[in-house]
Amino acid sequence: MCPNGKHLLKVEGLVKKFGGFRALNGVNIDVREGQIVGLAGPNGSGKTTLINVISGVYRPDGGSVEFDGRSVYKLPSHKIVRMGINRTFQVPKPLAGLTVWENVKLGAVYGSREGNRRETVRQALEIVQLHNMKDSVSADLTFAQQKLLGLATALATKPKMLLVDEIAAGLSHQELLWIAEMLLRIQKTGVAMIVVEHHLGFIDTLTSDVVVMNAGANLFRGSIQEAAQNDEVVEVFLGR
Amino acid sequence: MLRRYFPSLGVILAIVAILLCLPHFYSNQSFLFNMMLYLALAEGLNIIYGFTGYLPFGYVGFFGAGAYGAAIAITLLHISPFFGVIIGGIAAVLIGIILIPLLRLSGAYFAIANLAASQALYFVVANPSLEKITQGPYGIDLSSVYNADASYYTMLGVLVFAMLLVAYMRNSNFGLSLLAIKEDQVTASLAGVNVVKARSIAWMLSAFVAGLSGAAFGWYTAVFYPSTVFSLDVSVFTIVFVLFGGIGTVAGPLVGTLILYSMYNFIGISTPQYFQLFYGLLIIVLVLFLPDGVASILQKGKVYVP
Ligand SMILES: Nc1ncnc2c1ncn2[C@@H]1O[C@H](COP(=O)(O)OP(=O)(O)O)[C@@H](O)[C@H]1O
Ligand SMILES: [Mg+2]
Repeated sequence: MCPNGKHLLKVEGLVKKFGGFRALNGVNIDVREGQIVGLAGPNGSGKTTLINVISGVYRPDGGSVEFDGRSVYKLPSHKIVRMGINRTFQVPKPLAGLTVWENVKLGAVYGSREGNRRETVRQALEIVQLHNMKDSVSADLTFAQQKLLGLATALATKPKMLLVDEIAAGLSHQELLWIAEMLLRIQKTGVAMIVVEHHLGFIDTLTSDVVVMNAGANLFRGSIQEAAQNDEVVEVFLGR
Repeated sequence: MLRRYFPSLGVILAIVAILLCLPHFYSNQSFLFNMMLYLALAEGLNIIYGFTGYLPFGYVGFFGAGAYGAAIAITLLHISPFFGVIIGGIAAVLIGIILIPLLRLSGAYFAIANLAASQALYFVVANPSLEKITQGPYGIDLSSVYNADASYYTMLGVLVFAMLLVAYMRNSNFGLSLLAIKEDQVTASLAGVNVVKARSIAWMLSAFVAGLSGAAFGWYTAVFYPSTVFSLDVSVFTIVFVLFGGIGTVAGPLVGTLILYSMYNFIGISTPQYFQLFYGLLIIVLVLFLPDGVASILQKGKVYVP
């Protein structure tokens, strides 16, 4: 935790309904500048939905989302992105017909509007180590590479806040360590994050500050050690 | 930066050179005019269909709006024909702006709604109670400003403009952003692309090209009726030419139009019934076996199509 940083993201009472079902039922979460917050919870607890609503992919049905002192509630994605929030997808969604370079270039051109674009693209690709594949068509990338491409495109928009959705799922232990190191390096450049991960072990390598959700609501916030000793948390994780 | 435009500009220069030289060897000016007209319409359709995936079956609506917009400007406001053509283009853009909400529809719904809109415009223009403005069903007579050569070169100018627009889209970040939207709206908007704005701009540019073309056609033809410039054949021909040639490039629609419109002219006019059958079959074959057109054969072989 970084207690003296100021609030970057403040989500209060966020509601998202699908028909009559409340996938988010009054969620609160706040993140300080440059801080990493882990977000855990069982499948279907609403983690991805939370990211979708914050990033403007879904329209919320109640609550508030403030970023950098301004409301981003119900703004379209491109505006949210230009204000400094970006995200990755649990199931990657690259622009499959475009090359790796073109994917990332779009982010640099439309999402950040500052600095040398070519340099921005190059740096983003180097961080995720896809630079040697820059001319490949994205459809030809592996699943894991497509996730990294999504991260590079997000980085090219120069975010102050990244929402990372299960980037480590299905990776080997070696790859997990590499990804964790990479996320920490990105954090050092001043990027705050919400890192969604099903497994607390991965979150533990990144931060000691974790939020646990269940059934569209907050269940717990504190350190991982406390989480592991919290009866409710243990129950939702083991009770499934 | 500019270097990547060279192949596209090469194609454009070749077409212009041919169209400037041909009249000296080939005396059928009306064929050449109609060829330019369809080349321009094909590129105009390419802007919206090739880069966003919206297939406007009512594309002729913009063509008719351009023809009538220009004719009204020339006859009622006594504007010179050349500026009348530009006003025709603007008239089509205004219709395009009114129709922007259609872009919320997808696939067949968009195509059909756009078709209905073009027919609605046709009935408005042809309505006898608007006779003072549009001459209703009795048609437009521009013979007082008729000028075959001036309208011919104006059409050439419209074609060059249309090709340059597509060259820009083929090589610019704006064009890339449209292709991105076409693939995945969510991913595009998370790259920071304003989806609604980019799409609307493409739509209006496409309308502008059709409007300019319709206006130049009206001037060249001098006498025309609502049924001439709102004929669905204009939409169908343009769509078939573009599908046949291939989308998203400068050259594809040009190649499709050059081949098919020549065939139509040399075989089709004498035996139109066979030709319609041929077109119908061609559409089916294209959709089934060559959805990306002739140009895609080259592209599959890793040949760059400008
Ligand atoms: N687009 C959608 N339409 C309907 N229900 C959805 C949609 N997206 C998510 N849900 C539902 O919302 C709940 C939360 O899903 P999700 O946010 O994906 O959970 P998590 O990421 O925590 O596993 C689930 O019950 C899921 O079925
Ligand atoms: Mg999820």
